[in-house]
Amino acid sequence: MMNYIWAGLIVIALGFALYADGRDFATNPYCNGRELPATIKLPPPAGGTAAPAARVTVQLTPESVAAFRGSELAKAELDALEMTGELTRLDGGYELKIVSDPLIRPLSQIRAFHDESNKSLRAKVIGLPDRIETQPGAPAVAVTLRFEPVRFVKLRAITNAAFEFAKTAVTIALGFIGVFALWMGLMKIAETSGLVDIFVYLVQPFLRLLFPEVPKGHPALGMIAMNLAANMLGLGNAATPMGIKAMEELQKLNPRPDTASNPMVMLLAMNTAGVQLLPSATLVAVMGMSSLRVFLPILIVTGISLVIAIVVTRLLGRLPGYKRSDPNAAEVTA
Amino acid sequence: MNSFKDMVEISGLWILVLLIVGLPLYGLIRRVPVYETFVDGAKDGFNVAVRIIPYLVAILFAIAMFRASGAMTELINLLRTPLGAIGFPPEVLPMAIVRPLSGSGSAAVLVDIQAQHGTNSLITQIAATIFGSTETTFYVIAVYFGAVGVRKTRHAVAAGLIADIAAIVLAVYVVKWMLG
Repeated sequence: MMNYIWAGLIVIALGFALYADGRDFATNPYCNGRELPATIKLPPPAGGTAAPAARVTVQLTPESVAAFRGSELAKAELDALEMTGELTRLDGGYELKIVSDPLIRPLSQIRAFHDESNKSLRAKVIGLPDRIETQPGAPAVAVTLRFEPVRFVKLRAITNAAFEFAKTAVTIALGFIGVFALWMGLMKIAETSGLVDIFVYLVQPFLRLLFPEVPKGHPALGMIAMNLAANMLGLGNAATPMGIKAMEELQKLNPRPDTASNPMVMLLAMNTAGVQLLPSATLVAVMGMSSLRVFLPILIVTGISLVIAIVVTRLLGRLPGYKRSDPNAAEVTA
Repeated sequence: MNSFKDMVEISGLWILVLLIVGLPLYGLIRRVPVYETFVDGAKDGFNVAVRIIPYLVAILFAIAMFRASGAMTELINLLRTPLGAIGFPPEVLPMAIVRPLSGSGSAAVLVDIQAQHGTNSLITQIAATIFGSTETTFYVIAVYFGAVGVRKTRHAVAAGLIADIAAIVLAVYVVKWMLG
């Protein structure tokens, strides 16, 4: 099932990206290939020599923008019609670097697409006389602006997301090293000192009902109990290493290490159902004192969904397909 | 009311202190060489963290692609009408869909819903209940199974998702019943 979900996520992502980019191609919302009329106001010539990059103001009219993008302007957008930028002389003409913010649509999207820092928007200036610095009498020049085309926005977005989150995954995992080391060290002390055995003795009458495949007195039961307790108390950073310790103990009982055994699936289902008595730190941080109001609903919902998770895990485990893939069953028949 | 937040924080703090100090102390009383034992156990932390990397990369990048493609927005638009018809508020749909996929993503959705509908609205309470009563299923699978190298997850995904769906549906009705 994981194979299908995983591949499904990627294929669906590609499908939707192609669909969105195809729609963009048909409707051209970024106005690729169109020209935007504008008036450039040049600064008064300072001391006769023109700087290599001159600061200019660029004035758009509501009519020209409406014609450019094919839709009228909203009232709030009228303020953004006057922009500032830097005019640079290049080999083939002039380039304008618009630096003001906010920009009107679709200029803001074009900027976000081409500039990762989302600070400046480059445009080719057409219709500017070759030697403007010699025309001090004509500070305002009518020109047209041509922007770089915006294509395959979503395709680019999904590839960027893939690379970015591959990096994020490693950051998350490496960030775990310290916390894992701390808790696993403490757990080792708990194991060696016999504390886990006491715990096993206390919880096994109850936990053996959920994990009948785990032999009596096995330390896995103690680790499972600690994992569930840490979850209930909202100790997220302790619960994970304890759960992993429990998984390691269960793995020792598993004859096929690449396949999840029944108790592993049960432990995982109980963890994904989220056994919580106290609201998580994130919820308290976001909701503040209002998290008190949902305290009881969360308790009820998480309790019922935990029971459902347990029952569903048991029932699914009895399906012939999952019964056949059970590592323990396979060993018996082999 | 603020004392509730304090209570949660302080009780959590005390449990942590009790564990971090209590475990070595108990070990000492039981004549365990605590320092050596701690170091011996702690070296596993590095191995486990490194071992889960491929599993986390696999699941996180696929989910990130899915989210970046805009498929989620389309899915929400598609499901809006049928779900609204059965009494499921479409405003909480983003939470229901993002929650099993991404922890930070669903926290952001909660902040968003709260900003749009107000902290004390029914919509926000439902979203908060969904957030509080479920876990990031795919992330948990990646971390827990990744740590021991289990690749064939069998019925874990199905069980986790069914529990999530149950929690989402329950959250709507329980909150409506208790706070509505």
